[in-house]
Amino acid sequence: MKFTTNREALLRPLQLVTGVVERRQTLPVLANLLVVAKDGALSLTGTDLEVELIAVASGVTIEQPGEATIPARKLADIWRSLPESAEVSVTVEGDRAIVRSGRSRFTLATLPASEFPSVESGPGDVEISLTANDLHRLLDQVSFSMAQQDVRYFLNGMLLEITSQHIRSVATDGHRLAMCTLPHGAPVDDRLQAIVPRKGVLELGRLLGDGEENVNLFMGSNHLRATSGPFTLTTKLVDGKFPDYEKVVPRETARTISGDRDLLKQAFNRASILSNEKYRGIRLILDKDQLTIQANNPEQEEAEEVVAVEYAGERMEIGFNVSYLQDVLAVLEVDEVRVSVADANSSALIEGVGNDEALYVVMPMRL
Amino acid sequence: MCAMAAREIVRKIVHCDCDSFYASVETRDDPSLRDKPLAVGGDPDKRGVVATCSYAARRYGIHSAMPMSQALRLCPELTIIRPDMAKYRSVSRKVQAIFRDYTAIVEPLSLDEAFLDVSDTSICRGSATLMAEEIRRRVRRELGITISAGIAPNKFLAKIASDWNKPDGQLTITPSEIEEFVARLPVDKLFGVGSVTAKRMRQLGLATCSDLRCQTLSQLTQWFGKFGATLHQLCRGIDDRPVQTSRLRKSISVERTYARDLPTLESCQEAMPGLLESLEQRIHDAGAERRIVQCAIKVRFSGFETTTAGMFAGEPAPAVFAELLQSAWQRGKRPVRLLGLGVRLAHPAVDRQLGLFDGVSEAN
Repeated sequence: MKFTTNREALLRPLQLVTGVVERRQTLPVLANLLVVAKDGALSLTGTDLEVELIAVASGVTIEQPGEATIPARKLADIWRSLPESAEVSVTVEGDRAIVRSGRSRFTLATLPASEFPSVESGPGDVEISLTANDLHRLLDQVSFSMAQQDVRYFLNGMLLEITSQHIRSVATDGHRLAMCTLPHGAPVDDRLQAIVPRKGVLELGRLLGDGEENVNLFMGSNHLRATSGPFTLTTKLVDGKFPDYEKVVPRETARTISGDRDLLKQAFNRASILSNEKYRGIRLILDKDQLTIQANNPEQEEAEEVVAVEYAGERMEIGFNVSYLQDVLAVLEVDEVRVSVADANSSALIEGVGNDEALYVVMPMRL
Repeated sequence: MCAMAAREIVRKIVHCDCDSFYASVETRDDPSLRDKPLAVGGDPDKRGVVATCSYAARRYGIHSAMPMSQALRLCPELTIIRPDMAKYRSVSRKVQAIFRDYTAIVEPLSLDEAFLDVSDTSICRGSATLMAEEIRRRVRRELGITISAGIAPNKFLAKIASDWNKPDGQLTITPSEIEEFVARLPVDKLFGVGSVTAKRMRQLGLATCSDLRCQTLSQLTQWFGKFGATLHQLCRGIDDRPVQTSRLRKSISVERTYARDLPTLESCQEAMPGLLESLEQRIHDAGAERRIVQCAIKVRFSGFETTTAGMFAGEPAPAVFAELLQSAWQRGKRPVRLLGLGVRLAHPAVDRQLGLFDGVSEAN
């Protein structure tokens, strides 16, 4: 196999595909990228057996077709370190890959392409097409709420739900929940639900642009495939039952405050500096048209912020993990937010005023 | 009179430590054992170890944590008694009830050992030395066992003092005696100085606390890292740690040494449910179910190589431990002598975070 290309043509595909490769692998070949040159095209594949990413590179001249696997991280590191716009050639001879550029030469150890595993993917049951921008929003508005290494393994991912009316993403770590709904259905009976694992969500987010270009999603019973331009990402789905998220979205909320997102965000950011570094608890005091935010830490240092809001209910106090509130205010792209609660022991509903695309539910902390 | 200021500066701490506790309780209940070499612990044929031994047994070179089989070789006429934890706990509770007649600030370190802060106690005219004498007299008379005590202005010195005239003795280190007492103290008496640090100190020519005092804080920090700052204080007899009535549990674990090595991974897997059950019992007893953040396993192979593995997990699920066992066992792939399971606990504050699904049935 031999191909020549410009550094820039392969840089981004190489970095994205390498992102899928785990730092510690169970099989040596999983540290490598599958490089296939045939029919005038070059494709790069990285996998960890759960998520597989294929990039088809353009601007590559194939001089001799073939296939091999090349150490991913080393190849990406070399590529990145080459001078800008450098011309590079890659030749595989026997079990060696030789990268040449200008007066640089690197010889890397390869493994046979036949050892490279592919992620099983049957035919997709449902196909849905949406813009990269829409899919990006579905991911970004909720992915921060996914659990991480939770024993409730079905929380370590994002629920993707498709009905004939909408496509919806939901993520929760058991303490807070995020949900984003777009009016963009597909012809399905009832509703189709799939849990995309955390890594699949993060990698998909990395390769998506923000434009109007189309992304095709194929959803099967145990995998999801997304194709976007030169990239094809296939991820296994989490085999489990996602909690009934609709049950935890509060309906009866007696008290509602609304206020300026930026002012609230900045007040929380400042108060959080003096909250307990680990547990992040803060106290909110709601009173007539005024919200007081208090934080203190084990050193007994204290912060107090007073923010003007609209609130007509009785005085009440409620505690929260400030990080959960900061996360929500960071992704809500609106001028004004509304927070609704029933009492100090029930969940709070946070929404953007005039934008019902996303909603957030946060459980309080006992004061 | 500036009693307030004086009280803040000088504390009165008593460290009480029962003498060979388990063995003393057994001797009390069976006086024929008096003055005989006696060890409380596991079966010598099943790799049991010595939990406690009588002073008569110590003269043979027997000490706690020694394999019972070795203890028997040192002293063939050794009487071995299996531990009766329920009995020891009940005696321990009575000992602690006596402590509480003197102060509410009691920090138990184990069944047979506790720190008492008696700074604010007026009994015995406020003399901690007299209080310690009275406590020791009452424990002997009411419970039939002996206890030693150390009296000093801080925990570090009180603990050393209680060991000084053991068994059945006590020592008071008054504020004016600290200087001289600490200067001559060998470095290995300091808490945190184990065999490795002690060896390093010997190489550096540091034998006593007065040698340590000659070194600057920055020199000690350079040699011993963060511990250097603690050393800098300890060698001057300074220790500001308060007596804490409720110590924060940071982890809960159980472990078992098997009479015969578990030969295969499968046999280890078979041993897991029993271990897990005792772990769950302990977690339940501590009321710590909701604070679990991490699960861990400890595997000791036949050659005594020990490995551990852990992962973040909110409950001690069998699947979690099965996975941990799998990965830990792979590192040795040999017969296993000991298995241990444990959980790390978060600060109780996390318990204050309410959960979304706490009241919702997830099974529908």
